[in-house]
Amino acid sequence: MKRKKGLPSYPGSRSLYASLAFLILVEACAIVLQAIFLGRSVTFLFQGATVQEIWTDLLLFLLFFVMRHVLSHVQQLLSERFAVRTTKALREQLTASYFKLGPRFAQTNGTGRLVTLAIEGIEQVKTYLEITLPRMIRTFIIPAVLAITVFTLDKLSAIILIAAVPIIIIFMILLGMAAQKMADKQYKTYRVLSNHFIDTLKGLETLTYLGVSERHEGKIARVSKRYRKATMKTLRIAFLSSFALDFFTSLSIAFVAVGLGFRLIDGAIFLLPALTILILAPEYFLPIRQVGTDYHATLDGQIALEQIESIINEHEETTVPVINSKIEWGSMSKIAFNEVTVSHDEDEKQILNKLQFSWEGNGTIGIVGESGAGKSTFIDIIAGFLQPTSGLIEVNEEETSSLIRTDWTSQIAYIPQHPYIFPTSIKENIRFYEQAATDEEVERVIDETGLRALVEQLPRKMDTQIGEGGRSVSGGQEQRIAMARALLSKRPIIILDEPTAHLDIETEYELKQSMLRLFEGKLVFLATHRIHWMKEMDHVLVLKEGSIVERGMHEELIQKQGVYVELIRHHQGRGGEL
Amino acid sequence: MRTWIIPYMEQHKGRMLLTVLVGVLGVASSVMLLFISGYLISKSALRPENIMIVYIPIVAVRMFSISQAVMRYLERLIGHDVILRILERMRTRLYRVLQPQALVLQSRYKTGDLLSMLSEDIEHLQDFYLRTVFPSILSLFVYGVFIGVLGLFDWVFALMMALVLAIIVFVIPFISLLVTRRKYIALKKGRNRLYAQLTDAVFGLSDWIASGRIDSFLSDYKADERDLLEIEKRMKRWQHIRSAVVQLVIGIAVMAMIAWAGSQAETGQIAPTVIAAFSLMMLAIADALSPASEAIERIPAYEESLRRLHEVETVDHPVSAPQSTTAICDANGPAIDLQNVSYRYTDSKEDVINGMTLTIDRGTKVAILGRSGTGKSTLLKLLTGALQPTAGNVFINGEQANQSLLAKSLSILNQKSHLFDTTVENNIRIGNPDASDEEVLEVVEQAQLTKLLGSIPSGLKTQMEEMGHRFSGGERQRIAFARVLLQQTPIVIFDEPTIGLDPKTEHDLLQTMFDAAKEKTVIWVTHHLAGIEQMDEIIFLEEGNIVLQGSHEELLATSSKYRALYEMDKGI
Repeated sequence: MKRKKGLPSYPGSRSLYASLAFLILVEACAIVLQAIFLGRSVTFLFQGATVQEIWTDLLLFLLFFVMRHVLSHVQQLLSERFAVRTTKALREQLTASYFKLGPRFAQTNGTGRLVTLAIEGIEQVKTYLEITLPRMIRTFIIPAVLAITVFTLDKLSAIILIAAVPIIIIFMILLGMAAQKMADKQYKTYRVLSNHFIDTLKGLETLTYLGVSERHEGKIARVSKRYRKATMKTLRIAFLSSFALDFFTSLSIAFVAVGLGFRLIDGAIFLLPALTILILAPEYFLPIRQVGTDYHATLDGQIALEQIESIINEHEETTVPVINSKIEWGSMSKIAFNEVTVSHDEDEKQILNKLQFSWEGNGTIGIVGESGAGKSTFIDIIAGFLQPTSGLIEVNEEETSSLIRTDWTSQIAYIPQHPYIFPTSIKENIRFYEQAATDEEVERVIDETGLRALVEQLPRKMDTQIGEGGRSVSGGQEQRIAMARALLSKRPIIILDEPTAHLDIETEYELKQSMLRLFEGKLVFLATHRIHWMKEMDHVLVLKEGSIVERGMHEELIQKQGVYVELIRHHQGRGGEL
Repeated sequence: MRTWIIPYMEQHKGRMLLTVLVGVLGVASSVMLLFISGYLISKSALRPENIMIVYIPIVAVRMFSISQAVMRYLERLIGHDVILRILERMRTRLYRVLQPQALVLQSRYKTGDLLSMLSEDIEHLQDFYLRTVFPSILSLFVYGVFIGVLGLFDWVFALMMALVLAIIVFVIPFISLLVTRRKYIALKKGRNRLYAQLTDAVFGLSDWIASGRIDSFLSDYKADERDLLEIEKRMKRWQHIRSAVVQLVIGIAVMAMIAWAGSQAETGQIAPTVIAAFSLMMLAIADALSPASEAIERIPAYEESLRRLHEVETVDHPVSAPQSTTAICDANGPAIDLQNVSYRYTDSKEDVINGMTLTIDRGTKVAILGRSGTGKSTLLKLLTGALQPTAGNVFINGEQANQSLLAKSLSILNQKSHLFDTTVENNIRIGNPDASDEEVLEVVEQAQLTKLLGSIPSGLKTQMEEMGHRFSGGERQRIAFARVLLQQTPIVIFDEPTIGLDPKTEHDLLQTMFDAAKEKTVIWVTHHLAGIEQMDEIIFLEEGNIVLQGSHEELLATSSKYRALYEMDKGI
C-alpha cells in the first residue's frame, strides 16, 4: 500500500500547524526554564543555601513544569479538535460516495469492509491525525531548542547529543530492515500459523461433520506452540530497534554525565550549567522516543486514509448527467440504448459491448444469459446504479449519458435477490419508499402480496420488529416485503435481479404468481437464470458476451433453435425434451 | 475475569513474576542512572584531588545506562512469551468449549461471526496483560520499593511521599475507572448505533437511492454521530484533566523531594552531594508511576470480551448424549430408519419434527424438499446425531444416531463446507488422514478434479489461498466433495451443495456427485427440481412431517401440485 509522505493537508491544517509550532516553541522554552530553576534550586542547596532561600526558585520550577504540561495539553486539544473536524467531513464524504457509487460497488468491495472503513478506518485516521501531527512537529522543534540551549552552556555536551541522533536513526533503520527481511522470509508460514486458529474455528462445523473435530484439539495446541516460537523469533529482532533507541539514548546521557564530571573536576564548567544540561538531556530524546511508540497507529491511519481518499476520488470521477428535462415514464414512453458500452478499467475487457436496445410503453422484459454475459451490468445501467463507459441512452426525447439521475431512479422499484430488511417494524419496512402511506394502504398491500399469514402470526402484527435484532424472515418473505414496498410506492418501473433462484420451489411457485400480478401495467426488467419466467414475459433479451444476440417472445426464440435453446439445454441438462 | 484471567496468572506465576522483576530492574536502572549522574557531577563539582573518587560512579553510570536498555528489551521479550503461552492455552480451551457445540451453535446465534468474534476476544486479552496487568503491577512494585527505601532515611517524609504518590498510583486510577466505565458504555452504545446506521446504509443502498431518502438518512446519521462525538469529547476532556492532575502531583513531589533533601543536608543527615541525585531520581520514579491510571482505565474495554467468553462456556448445550437404552435394530436392516420421531426445541411450544416415520433402504437415492422452517435442517441434525429426538428413534445402519457415526457410517457435504487454509491435498485428506495416495487420486478423479488440478503447476499441493480466490464456487465444492468421498461411508448427505451456483455449474456438479455416489445411499436436500429425475424417491416436508412421497414418475402421475412445480421448473 502506497502511503502519503509528510503532513496531510486539509481545511484548517495550515493554521493548526502554525499554532502548534508556536505552542511547541513556547513549550520548549518552558522546558528549558523548568530545568534551569530545578538546577538552581539543587545547586544553591548544594552550595549551602537553606530551603527558605530557594523557595522562589522551587516555585518557579513548579510554574514552568506545570506550564509545559499545560501547553502540551493545549496542543493535543487543538489537534483533537482538528482531527474530529477533519474526520467528520471525511466520513460524510465517504458515506455520500457510497450512495453515489451504488450497490454493485458495495458488493464488489464487500459491504462489511465498507462499513468497517467508515467506522474503524475513520477512527484510525483520527488517531493518526491527533497523535502523529503534534509529535512530528515536536520532533523537529523541541530537540532543536534544547540542543541550542545546551550548546550555549557546554559545546561538548551539545555535540554528543546531536551526534547521537543520526547514530540512533541509522541503527533503527538497519535493525528495522533486518526485522523486515526476517518477517518476509517466514511470512507465508507465519500467516498460516497466525490464521490457523480462526480458520479452524470457522471450519468447526465441517470438522465435526467429518468426524475429526475431537482429534483436532491437539493440533490447535501444536500449531499455537509453533506460532509462539515463530513469533518470538521475529520479536527478538523486531524489538532490537527499540532496544537500539533505548541503548543509544541512555548511553549518550551517560557520556554527557561523565564528560560533565570530568570538566567539573577540571574546573572548566560550573555546577549549575552542568546540572541543567543533565536535566535537559533526557528531555532532548523524549520526542524522538515518542515518535517510535505509535508507529503502528500511524501506519494503520495512513493506510485507512489512503483507502478512504481513493473511494472519495472514485466517486468524484462519476459525473452526474446534465438534466435538460425531467424524465417521466408512462404507457407512451420510449427508452433506447445506443451503443452502450461498459468496460473494466484493468483489462479493457468489455462487459457490455455497444449494446443496442429499444422499447416502447409498458411490458415485461426478461433478460437471460450465461454467467458473465452482462445481465447484472445491464440491470445496473437501467436501474441507475452504474454509468456506462460510453454510449447514449434516450428516454422519451431526452438524451442522457447515464441514468444516475433522481428523476429516473424515483420512478423505479428495485428488487434484488436478497432485499435488505431494515431493522424496524414490518410497517416501516413496507413504507420505506412512501413514508406518508396510511395504515389502511399498508394493510392493503400486505393482503395483496401474501404477507397476511406472516403478519397475523406476529405478536404485534405489522408493528413487530423484523430484521437483525428482531424476528428473522425467510427468503420468500423478504421478497414479499420488497414487493409490498414496490406496490405501495406505485412506481411505474420495476427492476428485478434474480429474485427467486435461491428460494425453494414451492415458495418460488407462489411468489411467481403474486409477482406476475404486480407486473401488470408496469415496465418490468427481470434478469434471471430461471428460464421459466420467460414464458410469462412480453419480450426476452438473450445476452452473450455483452451483446444482445437474440430477442423476441419465448415461443419465437424456441422456434429459432439458436442461443436461447442452447442456453436452456445447458441450464437444464435435460437435452432431448425440446 | 475469574475464569479467563486469574487461572492463567496462577499458571504462569513464575514467568509473570520474572517479567515484572525484569521490568523493575529496568526502572531501577533508569532511576539509578539519574541518581548516580546527579551524584557524579555534584561530587565532581567539589573538584576532588583524586580522580579515583569519581571512578566508581562513572563506571556505574555507564553500567546502568546499558542495563536499562537491556532490561527493557528483556522485559518486552519475556512478557510477550508469557502472553503467547497463555494464548496457547486459551485457544485450546476455547476450542474444547466450542467443539461439542459445533452443530448447534449456528441455530443459537444468528450471526455466524460469533466464532471470529471469540477468536478476536482472546487476541484482545493479550493487551490486557501487556497494557494493564504488567504496567499496574510494575507501578505498584516501584511505589513500594521507593517508599521503603525512602523510609530508611526518614520515615515521616516517606509516609508523606507515600500519601502524595498514592494519588497517582491509587486514587486517580480508581476515579478514572469509575468515570470511564460509564463513558465507555455510552461510547460503545453510540458506536454500535452508528454501526447499525451505516450497515443500513450500505446493505440497503439500492433502497435508499431508489426511495430518494438519502438526505434524510444523512441527517439522521449526523445526529447520531454528533451524540457520539460529544461523548468522545467528554472522555478526552477527562483524560486531559486526569493527566494534568498527575503531572501537578509529580511537580509537587519533585519540589518536596528537593526541599526535603535540602533540609536533610542542612542538618547533616545526608551529604550535600546527593541532593541532586535525589532530585533527579524523583523525575525517573514519577515516569515509572504515571502509566498506572491509563492501565487501569482500560479495564472496561476488556469486560465485553470476558463476558462473551464466559457466556459461551457456561451455556448448557444439548450435546448428543445417546440415550442409554440403545435399542439395536437389525444390523442388516435399512440404511436409515426413523420410527415415529418428534423433536421440539426447548424454547418452543410446537414440534419441529412431528411423529415422522421414514425408512430408506441401502443404496436408495432420496431427495428432500420443503419450505424454509418445515424441519429440513432439524431432520438432518437428527440424522447426524447433533440433536436427539424428543420422542421416537433414529437408526443409521441399525445403530442409534449419534455423532460418532459421522465419518464412519455417514458423511455430509453441505452448502458452505469450509476449505482450510492449506493445500488442496490436505483439505481432501483431512477427513481420512490415513488414506493412501492412490485413494486420494481416485477421489480426485471421481470428483472430476483431475483435469483442473493437472492444469495448475503445483497440482494437489496448491494452496487454497485466503478465502479460496484461486478456485471458483463449483471447484471448491468439488474439492469438498472429494474430501467426503475419501471417507468412504455408505451413506452421504448432500445439504443443498449447489445453492448459489449458476445452472450450468450446478448441473455439472450434480452429475458428478450422482455418478460418484452410485453405490451409496444418498440423502439430498434441494430447493428446486434440477436433477430430480435421477432420484429413486422424492419427499416433500411440511410442518414437520412428510406430505408427499414417491418416485418422480409416481408423483408426476398422482400429484397435481408436483406436476405444476415440475412444469415450472422445467421452464419450457
